[in-house]
Amino acid sequence: MMHDEPSRDARAAYDRCMRIVHAASVLVPDRRRDEWTREWSGELWYRALLLDRARASDHHGERRLVVRTFGAIPHALWTLTDEMRIDPMLQDLKYAMRGLVKRPAFAALIVATLALGIGANTAMFSIVNSVLFRPLPYERPAELVYMYGAFRQGSQAMVSPPDYLDYRDRNSVFSSLAARTVFGTAVITGSTEPERVASSIASANFFTTLGVKPYRGRVFLPEEEQADHAVAILSFGLWQRRYAGDVRIIGKTIPIDGRPHTVIGIMPPVLDRTMDVQIWRPIPFRTNEMSVRRFHFLRLVGRLKPGVTIAQAQRHMDGIARDLAAQYPENESWRLSLVPYRDVVIGGVGPVLLVLLGAVGVVLLIACGNVASLLLARASARSGEMAVRTALGAGRSRLVRQLLTESLLLGVAAGVAGLVLGHYLLVAVRAVGDGMLPRLAEVEIDGTVLAFTFGVSLLTSLVFGAAPALHAARTDLAAMMKSLGKSSATRTGVSTRDVLVVAQVALSVVLLVGAGLLVRSLWRLQDVKTGFDPSGLVAGSVSLPPTKYTNRDAEVRFWDQLFERVRAIPGVESVAATTLFPLRGGGDTYFYIDGRPPATDADKMNATVSSVTEDYFTTMRIPLISGRVFNASDRAGAGVMIVSDALARRLFPGASALGKRLVVDFGKPFVGEIVGVVGDVRIYGQANDAPEVMYFASRQPNAGWGMGFGNLATRVRGDPEAVASQLRAAVRALDPDVPLSAIQSVESILYDSVAAPRFRTQLLVGFAAVALILAVVGLYGMLAYSVTQRSREMGIRLALGARPTAVFRMVIRQGMALVVVGIVLGVAGAFAATRLLAAQLFTVRATDPMVFGSVAITLAVAGLAACIVPARRATKADPISALRME
Amino acid sequence: MKTLSVSALAVLGAVSRAVRYGFDIMDATGLPSGTVYPVLGRLERDGYVRSRWESQVLAQREKRPPRRYYEITASGARALAESAEHYRTLGARLGIPARRTPAK
Repeated sequence: MMHDEPSRDARAAYDRCMRIVHAASVLVPDRRRDEWTREWSGELWYRALLLDRARASDHHGERRLVVRTFGAIPHALWTLTDEMRIDPMLQDLKYAMRGLVKRPAFAALIVATLALGIGANTAMFSIVNSVLFRPLPYERPAELVYMYGAFRQGSQAMVSPPDYLDYRDRNSVFSSLAARTVFGTAVITGSTEPERVASSIASANFFTTLGVKPYRGRVFLPEEEQADHAVAILSFGLWQRRYAGDVRIIGKTIPIDGRPHTVIGIMPPVLDRTMDVQIWRPIPFRTNEMSVRRFHFLRLVGRLKPGVTIAQAQRHMDGIARDLAAQYPENESWRLSLVPYRDVVIGGVGPVLLVLLGAVGVVLLIACGNVASLLLARASARSGEMAVRTALGAGRSRLVRQLLTESLLLGVAAGVAGLVLGHYLLVAVRAVGDGMLPRLAEVEIDGTVLAFTFGVSLLTSLVFGAAPALHAARTDLAAMMKSLGKSSATRTGVSTRDVLVVAQVALSVVLLVGAGLLVRSLWRLQDVKTGFDPSGLVAGSVSLPPTKYTNRDAEVRFWDQLFERVRAIPGVESVAATTLFPLRGGGDTYFYIDGRPPATDADKMNATVSSVTEDYFTTMRIPLISGRVFNASDRAGAGVMIVSDALARRLFPGASALGKRLVVDFGKPFVGEIVGVVGDVRIYGQANDAPEVMYFASRQPNAGWGMGFGNLATRVRGDPEAVASQLRAAVRALDPDVPLSAIQSVESILYDSVAAPRFRTQLLVGFAAVALILAVVGLYGMLAYSVTQRSREMGIRLALGARPTAVFRMVIRQGMALVVVGIVLGVAGAFAATRLLAAQLFTVRATDPMVFGSVAITLAVAGLAACIVPARRATKADPISALRME
Repeated sequence: MKTLSVSALAVLGAVSRAVRYGFDIMDATGLPSGTVYPVLGRLERDGYVRSRWESQVLAQREKRPPRRYYEITASGARALAESAEHYRTLGARLGIPARRTPAK
């Protein structure tokens, strides 16, 4: 017997081994840990004592003991898996697989139904995730603040360059404050055809403020904004497209707006995805046109210093604005309006996306309803199997677990399929939705989306698996055994499947109402009178290089010559030009009625400015309300102008505007007599009111801002698109340095202008259609199943003399009762839910009775259609075979 | 009844020959500790062996912590016999001559 204490060496070996055991013991479930550790310690101590005895003969005993102790790790792992019952779970899984493989069509139907729902959810969530949740692709984007100029509450005006420089120098809340223009274009010439591209002039610190590093080359140097430096930075896209991604372009000069510019850098692709600018140039702050405080054309981006809130920054900048106003009278009532940069990028699209995400969620719920219904049907078909397993000793919890395992297997399979489907949906959305959603190019399936899809798949499995599992848990063995071998069951009470059908109908109603409201709103939007006749109109933008066309006369000459050539094109009825074309550009200025100068700045009035050639109103078919249109003799001499109806009625309510004179601010005051009043035109799209417009004759000096950049409006007979190439040829023949861009039929411009609302309407209509189909299929499946189950009952009824029509009506009544309950619940739900849509609706109320009514009728009709086939089958039940079975 | 795996057969065989402690079973079967303990756990869960703690008095007299030992149960003995028979038949069918398991 061993009475001795272990030697020091043995004790040390024991301690070493126990360290391994303790480390491994963290894996062991709490309940077993104590016993587990004691078992190892007992053995090890015993063995350590043995070591002392055998030391003389066994030199490796100690090492062998340590090696053996590492076995504690697999032992601990085993206790862990044993505790989690992974073994029986694997068994369930194997069994579930076998079951599904045996009924491939059934499994495929379920997986496909769910994959549709999960795929749509994956795609929609990817969009929401990328657009709303993911931070902007700039350094520490939360610190970035966007700034509008503001002279009234909430206005989104611009900031003048001198004001910007003062704000930049005087503020102490931004670590960096940058500025850029947001609407400019520039013309690139040289090598290939001249091309008009989106261009921006920016302060030298613009890119460093955002934290964007150049892809190649460098960003602007601080001294490059001091004088008029002819340097340019290209966007990645322009560099790839026009310069074939050749790095040697850096350091070379290219002609931009007729002036050679040195290319100093290329921006990374990420900037292309967030800003539609292809050429960047520095703001020449020291030049004359950049030194006027009244000329507002910049927007600012600032990076807040750490710890400064946007509210603090707003107060601080307001203080500077007051100082500036005290110093410069033209700054009276001007200030900055600070907005988180993220809000500017995302715009108002957030609620729309969340509504759509909710809608696909509902589609998935309906799909779950169908699958649950299918599984329930199969559960009753399997009640025999379940009874046998119960009789063999399978516990109730074991059966439930078995069914849930099946559901999980189906859910995960559907999740994988849904992920693939979601990927292709996203590809499609990216192709179709370009320009309709901010940040669309950034949309992708990332880790977050994968986690979402996985979570949704699991959740889905629980949702659709719960009903059959609970059903199995509730069923009583004796009843199951009794029903073995019988294929009939009589209906009693409300079944789970009835509830599912009602829920599906109700959810479809909600979606259909939402879709219906958007459709109606879109119709209203497209029906809005624009104030001119778009059919047969072709638009194109022309810009004259300022270096070549230095004065008004040169511009007028160009247009006259161009019109001559365009009129010669067969099919052209008339042609004109304007600086303010519907849905393209615009600008406004101050004015006052002659003899009534404003007493204060608050009394200043402004209106939109449009310079037009003589035939503009006839070409556009804008109605003349009173007076006359311009003619070729409106040149020098007494100034004339035409005003829009809305402006005339505001200025001279109840009186004729003709003969009245306005003083208009074009840097220098221009005095014009109103010679005509024309109809209002919805320049900014159908959803926006027609602005008040002052029209000026293009030939008149000092009126308007010149025709260096104009929109060509050509009215043609026949296909508008057909003359596009001839128009381009006419411009090129006249002056090859002048680009004609954006040639498009005006009808398609108008069509595109409602592209975003149309896109979200189409999406919601698509979701609602899928929901309707799923609900109708669900209803059909439920009724068909019920009729099959009751075929014996029907047969007996018929045998006992029931008329087929009575049986028919009975089945229809059974189905339609559910549909009606569903519609009622759905309408109630829709009343609550469509309020979320109110902001997206154009002159349609969220409670529009037309929409609610037609949705109810649609569902009733679809429901009836789903009932008819099973009902007819019920009347064909064979009385003889029913009686024979009995 | 399930046929025992080869290592389970070896461990159960050792226990049936009154090799009772984990480390002694390793010595007897030549199996590593990472195999023996999980096999013992499974055998115990399936009711083929049961474990006991040796008497506290004895352990205290020897100034060491008590050890856990394993005993074969009746159903364990049956499983051992059946599985051994199964492997013997299998061996015979494969043309491997039957040999008595070498006693320790």
